[in-house]
Amino acid sequence: MKLLRSFAALTSALVLTATSLTVQAEIMGIEGTTTDGHQKTFNLEAAAAAISTPDGDNLLIWAYGDLDNAATEVQYPGPTIIVHEGDAVTINLTNTDIGEPVSMVFPGMQNVAAVVSNDLGVNGSADRVVLTEEASIGETVTYSFTASKPGTYLYHSGSNPDLQVEMGLSGALIVRPATNPDSQAYNNADSAYDHEYLYFLTEMDTSIHQAVDLGLQPDTSNYHAVLWFMNGRNGPDTMFDHNVAWMPHQPYGSLTRMHPGEKVLLRIIGAGHDMHPLHTHGNHFLQIARDGQVLTSDPANAATVGADLAFGDYTQQVLPGATYDAIFEWTGRNMGWDIYGHTDGSGALCNGVETASDSTDPVSFEDCRYHNVPIPVDLPENLDLTFGGFYSGSPYLGSMESLPPGEGGLNLNGGLFFMWHSHTEKELVNNDIFPGGMMTMLIVEPPGVPIP
Amino acid sequence: MNKKAISLMVRAVIAGAMISCAGLASATVYTQCPGDLNADGDNTDAGEDSTVKCMHLSGGDGYIKMADDRPMYMFGFGNMTGIPDSQVMSEGVLSAEFPAPSISLKQGQPFYLTLSNTGMVMRPDLFDPHTVHFHGFPNASSVFDGLPDTAIAINMGASLTYYYNVQDPGTYMYHCHVEATEHMQMGMLGNLYVHPNQDGTPIEYPAASGRVYDKFVYNDGDGSTGYDVEVPIQIGSFDSRFHDASEGVQPLPFAEMEDNYPMMNGRGYPDTTIAGPLASVDSYLDAGIPFKPARQTQKVDTHIEATQGQKILLRLSNLNVTRFYSLNTLGIPMQVVGMGAKQHIGPDGKKLYYKTNSVTLGGGEAIDVLLDTADVAAGKYYLYTGNLNYLSNGDEDFGGMMTEIIVN
Repeated sequence: MKLLRSFAALTSALVLTATSLTVQAEIMGIEGTTTDGHQKTFNLEAAAAAISTPDGDNLLIWAYGDLDNAATEVQYPGPTIIVHEGDAVTINLTNTDIGEPVSMVFPGMQNVAAVVSNDLGVNGSADRVVLTEEASIGETVTYSFTASKPGTYLYHSGSNPDLQVEMGLSGALIVRPATNPDSQAYNNADSAYDHEYLYFLTEMDTSIHQAVDLGLQPDTSNYHAVLWFMNGRNGPDTMFDHNVAWMPHQPYGSLTRMHPGEKVLLRIIGAGHDMHPLHTHGNHFLQIARDGQVLTSDPANAATVGADLAFGDYTQQVLPGATYDAIFEWTGRNMGWDIYGHTDGSGALCNGVETASDSTDPVSFEDCRYHNVPIPVDLPENLDLTFGGFYSGSPYLGSMESLPPGEGGLNLNGGLFFMWHSHTEKELVNNDIFPGGMMTMLIVEPPGVPIP
Repeated sequence: MNKKAISLMVRAVIAGAMISCAGLASATVYTQCPGDLNADGDNTDAGEDSTVKCMHLSGGDGYIKMADDRPMYMFGFGNMTGIPDSQVMSEGVLSAEFPAPSISLKQGQPFYLTLSNTGMVMRPDLFDPHTVHFHGFPNASSVFDGLPDTAIAINMGASLTYYYNVQDPGTYMYHCHVEATEHMQMGMLGNLYVHPNQDGTPIEYPAASGRVYDKFVYNDGDGSTGYDVEVPIQIGSFDSRFHDASEGVQPLPFAEMEDNYPMMNGRGYPDTTIAGPLASVDSYLDAGIPFKPARQTQKVDTHIEATQGQKILLRLSNLNVTRFYSLNTLGIPMQVVGMGAKQHIGPDGKKLYYKTNSVTLGGGEAIDVLLDTADVAAGKYYLYTGNLNYLSNGDEDFGGMMTEIIVN
């Protein structure tokens, strides 16, 4: 009970922040520099930093950062690299101050060339796992490849990866398709979306970070995670907006917003050591791609055949190193009562008529069969209830009702909130403190509420 | 006076204080069930209209017996359906069952589920509310989603009725979502599944095979999800150290949580082979614990038995909170026909069914598998976890997440 309230208190400012900024894209990332629109160059660094976690801890991380933007810091996860299908991509990675050689690998990309441009002659010891060319301190290594296939990908350090990826050296790579690059995940029309969000799932064993911080030999073989992250933050920090000032090395939020009837593209990446079952409250989703490959019976003609092998589920099994694209919708269909709380005689219309009809409203997506049907049960007296901070006071979408003093307050628009989280509920904890961990919220906002 | 006696005495004092406080509140048990004429939370008595489906659950604490004869303190749901509202607060004392009472629904039948918070008698220091999260319910409303952060949760001594317009067949699950890591580790978990409209329509599958089904997992249109024998199996596991800490009012070990009692439907092998409810845990409990004599709290069995030639449907779900588990069959392949309460087909109906000897489920995942006994000899087969170190009950290196499949 006390814990429940503390969750609300911790999050008291966040929705205000999240809904007041309207200029940011839903997936934050970097698009590099270009002179011809086709050659994309990224200048990245790897450096040490410290992140804060909601249990009050402060952890040493190693992280990638964008050198082309002086205002940004190295960050966890690394900058989301966004390119377009067919782009010739060049990534210059400079090892600023990681105490050992560092590198990048791009699973899913083919024919990646890797060259160290200013070899200082310092190499790592022979007994580390190294998957590609790497940069020692002060060196720069250049990777180049053609982003030939659209999709959601992961990148991470290929140097001593059992330690370096745990330390924070990983990020997302998004390749936008040639067809409708701003509204489709792939070239097939059934990958179209209205909003897209990233869910980059990782975990950390604090003892490893403490050992590195103290200059001790870390033990990655006896791995025991106690912190779980979504886009580099632990709940409830996940629900804050992108780029909040007090988390300079954790710029990416994951609060998800949509209107009824819209399609949300989920780009899900398993970037840690462990498997996580990601559960979407509110509705099923349709998984349309895995590891950048459309789920289709005819890969050569995927653009026209579409994701005909896509399938529905309500919990996505997220495996280490794997990526998934899924489409999520919510309409409130089959609710059995009027989700907007319209009442007889109010004059409110559903698909143009005042009474119930067997149709769907094209704007509100109300299921008109239940137009004007009240909620079928009496809700208990306030004294018998404990209220969540995200409750509007009303069961109806777009409505607000008064709540007892100190209750609610985090729901600005009368939206419906649904939690999206790891269903290994042990991971809803920040190092022994519930609640937190690998979770965020979906807000189904009433029609008309602006969503960036 | 020993430690346990002191603990019980302290509990009695706190419980007394709690009861005197409770008198001030307006709280009352109150079921809402259209068709119920005598306020007992169901509409199945003589003369009652049972068009809609009703159930009444208690939310509170209780005990079960593990397969190594160890009693285990837990939180859970009990079945109060058919008990007059006025008797539920007393009947609800230590009524928790594991798994929670199974919820079996039919597509198209509206479902009224009343949850009454009957309090945690062994933890009178707690004032936790409870909820029901109908896990996987499509196009959910947040008021009936059971997530305390986004809606409402019911306080002790009071009732909340959830309403679901059930239209999508498949295998779901339900659990309390209040302080989810704790309440779910403690056992507020149960089976929930919806039968399709196609049930009752005989369909021969495959065509001209002579095998006719009238029960199906989904509205498949061709009988390909037809089955003869249905066994819902929810896998899960408890960490006895966490449960002991809870019973002893100690700080809870979240970070160190590691389950050591793997189970199917709330029992470890060999208890999993027993058909019907397990015997009451009452004889294993300390005197002074107000447990209703002979109360059965492990009612959902994992007895799988079919006649050769029949198809068995296993509705597999996982609601443990710590890890993934694989489930394997020995001797009979599993055909996966559904996942997450969706028939496993593409958007245009392409069948994505596949045969396998193992499926892997994380928490919150469900898989529907068919076992065809037509081509196997009569005999005994096994369903067991491929995570072989979980074939154990606590320190007893024998048992755990395993049961038998009997083909006659």
